[in-house]
Amino acid sequence: MHTDWALENLKTIRTLMERTAVYRRAMGPVMVVVGVTGLAAGALGAFLNLTPALPNVGYWIGVAVVCLLEACWMIRRQALKDAESFWSPPMRRVMQAVAPAFFAGAVAGLPFVFLRWETVNAVLLLMPAWMVFYGFAMHSAGFFMPRGFKLFGWGFVLGGVGVFAAIILGAKDGFWLSNQTVNWLMGGIFGGAHLAYGLYLLFTENGGNAS
Amino acid sequence: MNPKPFLQIDRVIHEKGRLPIMSLLAAATDMSFTEMRDTLKMTDGNLSMHLKTLQEAGFVALAKSYRRQRPLTTCMLTPAGRKAFAAYIDLLEQIVREARGPK
Repeated sequence: MHTDWALENLKTIRTLMERTAVYRRAMGPVMVVVGVTGLAAGALGAFLNLTPALPNVGYWIGVAVVCLLEACWMIRRQALKDAESFWSPPMRRVMQAVAPAFFAGAVAGLPFVFLRWETVNAVLLLMPAWMVFYGFAMHSAGFFMPRGFKLFGWGFVLGGVGVFAAIILGAKDGFWLSNQTVNWLMGGIFGGAHLAYGLYLLFTENGGNAS
Repeated sequence: MNPKPFLQIDRVIHEKGRLPIMSLLAAATDMSFTEMRDTLKMTDGNLSMHLKTLQEAGFVALAKSYRRQRPLTTCMLTPAGRKAFAAYIDLLEQIVREARGPK
């Protein structure tokens, strides 16, 4: 008796389910933790007052890495709790979606580190670029996540463009922000946005999983 | 070969048009009618007909609402549908296992 059809049906089911599966981890708690970390990092950055580009840009790259690790740790914990794989097909797709923008953001920061500009506030110049790249990443991830992530991504893209325009206009008039203010801004924009969206998700996601 | 699994196959799910619908809904929490139609490249009539069959079997639930003042039909699997789909997959796996024979 032929059983090829059974195998074919299983393949069809698997393909369709993988294509459709939406990333189901509850992002509310993750966003809140990342938001609080960002805000705390802004306060600490302002307190440390790291003026040269290398430690200041390095500091914020470090903060980004810490936030990423926190997010991965929390997502892994949820996956273990639900007896599901951490590196699931939706997780893979989300990572593939955010990778190019994250890579571009990291590369954009490198010249600021290696040129060792002492006078220019590197973080102020990097901030809009990182906002735009981060917005691209969130928008791409939004295709495999709940709808709100695309809007969240758009918020960062538009915010980044706005900040860039403000910097250009400000520089024209000789206005420049202090290093401490820039650190507050970095923490406020990235941390504040994540915290606000995280709180919104906490009140709208049902239970641990968004499913 | 043991014919029992073949006899147990759920005929409602085991149909060329309905199996993809069940697969999509098993992976997504819910899905709009238009999204499903576009993903599966089905006509409105064809999809409606299959959804009706699945609904009558108690496997699928439909919810009607409005988004931006336009009607929105959302489809989702019922607990019975999820259970039946899991049983269907188990049967397929059993058939494949038995065909391959003991290792």
